[in-house]
Amino acid sequence: MGKYFVVFRVSLAERLVYRADFFLSTFLRFIPIVTTILLWRAIYDGANQTEIGGLQYNQMVSYYLLIMIVRAFGSMPKLASGISLAIREGELRKYILQPIDYLTYMLTLRCAHKLVYFVMAAIPYTIIFWVCSDYLPGWPGPAMFCLSIMTLVLTFCIGFAINSLIGLLGFWFLEVATFIHAFMTLQYFLSGHMFPLSLLPKSVEKIVTSLPFAYETYYPTLILLQKVSVEEAIRIIAIQFVWASIVAGLCLFAWKRGLHKYAAFGG
Amino acid sequence: MRPSYHRILLRFWKNCLLREMTFRGHFILRIFGEVGWVVLMLIFIEVIFSKTSQVRGWSEHQYLFLMGTHMLVTSLFETFFFENCWRISDLVRTGNLDFILVKPANTQFLLTFERIDFAALANVPVGGALCLYAVVQGGYTITIAHLALFIILIFTGVLMLYAMLFMFAITSVWLIRQTGLDALWFYAMSLSRYPSEIYRNFAGGTLWFVCVFVVPVLMVANLPANVMVRTFTTPLIINFIAAAIGLLILSSVAFKIALRSYRSASS
Repeated sequence: MGKYFVVFRVSLAERLVYRADFFLSTFLRFIPIVTTILLWRAIYDGANQTEIGGLQYNQMVSYYLLIMIVRAFGSMPKLASGISLAIREGELRKYILQPIDYLTYMLTLRCAHKLVYFVMAAIPYTIIFWVCSDYLPGWPGPAMFCLSIMTLVLTFCIGFAINSLIGLLGFWFLEVATFIHAFMTLQYFLSGHMFPLSLLPKSVEKIVTSLPFAYETYYPTLILLQKVSVEEAIRIIAIQFVWASIVAGLCLFAWKRGLHKYAAFGG
Repeated sequence: MRPSYHRILLRFWKNCLLREMTFRGHFILRIFGEVGWVVLMLIFIEVIFSKTSQVRGWSEHQYLFLMGTHMLVTSLFETFFFENCWRISDLVRTGNLDFILVKPANTQFLLTFERIDFAALANVPVGGALCLYAVVQGGYTITIAHLALFIILIFTGVLMLYAMLFMFAITSVWLIRQTGLDALWFYAMSLSRYPSEIYRNFAGGTLWFVCVFVVPVLMVANLPANVMVRTFTTPLIINFIAAAIGLLILSSVAFKIALRSYRSASS
């Protein structure tokens, strides 16, 4: 455990180097929110309805705001590409020779990244959520609050597992960068990041909402939005747990099989 | 001796095509990725217009036309200028700008045209097809004069975007680390993808005013689309072209000033 703590600490320090860049980019990330708010205002006005896809206008705006929090837990920038690069360029050998488990090592790094991110993003997020507080639902009750934390932790787990699995495809395919790009695009839609999945035609919605991507982003956002009851939230979290276990299991399987194939190219 | 610029340009493009064709599979996959993104945007529009018949006065066909126009502008920009602008901060940081400065040709020319991204070009026919589809479906009558104006405005918009991003890129001479360029591009594009009318009442109309009249980034797709399938006024077009020329001149002046502060790097 101690060695992973060292990894954690080093990574923490490393992430704190470019602070100004970080604050700027976090604020910039909210620019599309402005467009989203205005576009949906125009759509609600045009439709002349108070509810679209089961969401009122302020809930729709909240959905897009809260999804930023969920994505902050679930998105794993450069994880998949990092793993596949380490495999392709032979860098992985460095880790195999050390008495550490590569995936645990990556998980530790990611936890440090996320921790730094949350601490530093707290300020811009607080400001933006304060400005937008009229749209947001009030604070959840204690039960819903605990469930929100749980769902976010599981979002992190699913995100990590999915991205690692894609990175591990590097054992079998030389070039996965393009695949990662295509996958990200698809995920943007399937996870409900583009728009709430309840807007889809019912038959399509049924399929899309049963995929793990919906449990990585869409359902957790509904929990944060307090759109679901406590019972429903518990059910969602249970399914999240199942998906996280399945994908993590696939990861371990891919890792074991991949290592047999691994040829450690490069000098 | 005066360098032969069109021969340099041809050589640049030939090099880029050769580079792309070295990794043909990657090239084709990238085109698929780009087209996949378009499909997602079409789904989004379909979802929007399944709930409302118009968005701030834009019908579905007009909106589709706007999207096609936006795609033409962005893919032309990405083909010719994005990578070149993006490279600048790298060249400054590593000191490799030296190699370009010593060449006996205009430095801004060399920086601007060295790379061309052929995969991004794939979206030009897609955008064109989308525009054509919208025109046919919407039953709009188009004259040659309209078409000519449309094409002129598209090229003006691309050049204006180039001037903006180029200016942003050369600030790396002072800031050294400049990773925000792709973010800036992404956000500028996510703003200009929608009908400009949605911004009209936001923040007292300040954003709308600035982005329509002063730095008309909102107009790069809106104005050509208005010319073709909606109504337009001549002063707005003159203002747009004047702003583009102004920004181009400014970028050239700013570049000369920036070069004075360039101190190269390493040894």
